Formats: sequence, C-alpha cells, structure tokens
Amino acid sequence: MHRLGAGWKIAVGTVLSALAVGARTPAELLALVLVTLCYFFAARLTLFDLWRDVRYLVLQGIVVTGLYCLVHGVALGLWPGIRTSVQIILFYIPGAVFLRTTRSRDVMAGLGRVIPYRLCFLVFVCVRFVPYFLREIEEISAAQRLRGARLLPRQLLNPANWPDLFNCLLLPLMVRALKTADEVSRSAEAREFGIRKQRTFLAVCAPSKTGSPANNEPPAAPAEEPQLCRHQNP
Amino acid sequence: MTDSNEQAYLWNRFSLREALLLGFCATFIILTRAGLRLHLHMPGHVMFFTMFFFLLARGFVPKIGAVTLVGLITSLASVLLGMGMGGPMVLVKFLLPALVVEVAGAIAPAFVGSMLACAAVGVIASVIRVGASTALEWLIGMEQEIMLKKALFSAVMNGLYGGLGSLAVPSIIRRLRKNGLIDQGPDGER
Repeated sequence: MHRLGAGWKIAVGTVLSALAVGARTPAELLALVLVTLCYFFAARLTLFDLWRDVRYLVLQGIVVTGLYCLVHGVALGLWPGIRTSVQIILFYIPGAVFLRTTRSRDVMAGLGRVIPYRLCFLVFVCVRFVPYFLREIEEISAAQRLRGARLLPRQLLNPANWPDLFNCLLLPLMVRALKTADEVSRSAEAREFGIRKQRTFLAVCAPSKTGSPANNEPPAAPAEEPQLCRHQNP
Repeated sequence: MTDSNEQAYLWNRFSLREALLLGFCATFIILTRAGLRLHLHMPGHVMFFTMFFFLLARGFVPKIGAVTLVGLITSLASVLLGMGMGGPMVLVKFLLPALVVEVAGAIAPAFVGSMLACAAVGVIASVIRVGASTALEWLIGMEQEIMLKKALFSAVMNGLYGGLGSLAVPSIIRRLRKNGLIDQGPDGER
C-alpha cells in the first residue's frame, strides 16, 4: 500500500467513502466494514493507529447514537444511531490511510501534475515557512512576555487576556509576515522567477575540462566558473 | 505597500508579493490549527483564527479571489501536512467560508474596516462552514431532527468563535494602514 501511487490511493479512498455514504442495510455495512478494515491493515497499520484516527469520530458516534436513543427510545433508535456513526467513521478511514501511507513529496508531486505550478509553489511556500513562523512566534512571544504581556497558554484561556494576544503577538507577527513577503518576492524576482508561463529551472552546467595538469602542479589558469544555464524548460 | 510596477504572478491578478502574503496567511491558519489541536478539542474553535486570518487576508490584498486563494492553499497544505482526513471535505470546509468573505468583499469592498461588518461576516462564514458536514450527514441518511440539532449546536459554536476572531481584524488593519505597511483601503474593487 505504501508503494501504491497517490492517485490510486485517492481513487480507492473516494470509492470506499462513496460506498460508506450509500450503505444502508446491515449486510452492506458489514461488508464495507470488512473491506475498509482490510484496506487499513493492508497498509501495515496497527489497531493503535486505527484508534488514534477514529477516537474523536467514535466520541461523535456515541453522541449521535445517544441522540437517536433519546428521540426514538433505545429499541428504535439504537440501530439507526450505530449505522450513521459507523458510516461517518467509514467515510473518514480511507483519508486516514492516504495520509498515513503517502509521503509529502509524493503528494506534492501528485499535486504538481494536477494544479498549476504557480499555485503549487505557493502551497510549498506555505509548508516551508511553517517552522520559520513558528520560531518567529516563539521569539516574539518570549520578548513580549518579558515586557509583561499575558501570553502563556493558561493565561490565554481567559478572554480578558485576548487583547494581549492580538496587540503583542499577532500584530508584530503580521508586520514580520509583510516584511518577509516583501523580501522573498524581491529576492525571487531578482532571479527572474515567474517571468515565463512554464516552470523554469536554474541548472548548473558542469565546467569544461581543461585537462589534468602534469606532475600534480596547480593549473596555470584558474578553473572555469560553473555556468548558470537559466530558464531551461524540462 | 503595493508597487505599481509589480508583475502579475497568479491568475493575472496577484503579484508575487501579494501571493506570498496570502500564502503566509494560510501558513498562520495551519499553525494555529495545529497548535489548537494540541491543547483544545472544543467544537468550532478552529474558526477563531481561520476567520481572523481570512479577513486579514482580505485587508492585506483587497482583491476578489484573495481569500479563496488562502482557503485553497490552506486546504491543500492541510492535506500535505496530514491534517485533512476528510479528503475533498477539507477543501469544501475552507472554501465555503472563504467564498462568503469574497461575496462580502464584492458587496462592500471596505468592510474589513468596520467591526460590526467583520463580526457579521465572521459569524455567517463560520455558520456556513457547518453546511459541509451537515451535507455529508444528510447524504449518509441521518434523521433530520438529529441532524438539525447537531448542526445547530455546531453552528452556534462555530459562529461564536468565528465572530470573536473577526472582531480583532479592523483594529489591526487600521494600525497597519496607519504605519503605511499596507494600502490605505480600497476605493473600489481593482
């Protein structure tokens, strides 16, 4: 399952999710539970993984079944409640398998084939800057806490401290984001990024060979600089 | 501030700087979603920061399509980072509120300057998001009475958090404009 292409996993997941929406009778549901569990465990995932993926859905299922029993009584409401809850869980399991068995770079490669590269670049930037802004948040938060801002997680549970969150953390963060966007865009545009419709690559050409010097003497002339071959379309 | 010499990078509409800024708004949504996941598991709390950054994105780049782009990037990045178990549902869950903000922006381009308008848009967009999960429950065949009760509870929680998150946007936009960090508000749609 791990070696299966991202597209195939999406296709299988879509079919299973659609079947989960359509299942009505106990036999259909039982068959679908078996197929979905086979799909899940074929991906070499464990029971613990399954529990971690569906625990909140199970909680939601208990609430839904409870509501059914409350409205119709236990005798009439138990089966529809369980059926609906199981259907909701089955709807989400293929997505969990996809996320657990597909590497980010495979998803990215798959996305690159479906969506325009400019949008793909933005998604990549969004992901790439997560650790950067996480560090920024930590730094701004530490500095503001030293100045007396109430930004500790337990302090933020009190809505009276939310103005501190916006004024002392989010506002400086936005200023930082604006500056970063400015710097990154200037830097990219200076490299002529995005001037062509197709995706371009900055390929480094190998330097031409000048011949090996005799008796290990240094070459008389400095080695040729690597040439940058710009805008090569794949 | 927007440079008049900037070339269009995406959809003949957004410059690279604007597109990156919108991408960063998506990054912040992802960050806050992941952060809140670790601490809270209250229904609807995700909308607090989602609406805050959606409306902020509208304030940063007051053009039609800006918030939709943030929603699109957020949903794709969520899937990429393993936070989107619902598959296509994730896309719908982010795009629905984004479209509401777009409609509000089309009707009143300068609405991000008004606290009341922001709160109203935040509440409506957050409530509409519930429609995605309600539609799934309807397709599954959940009974209407139970489905509506659940949707009502989710809508109230989503609307509450979305509205609260939106309230902070006008003051931040005003302060950023005052310091010349973003444009002085739209005179009309560009």
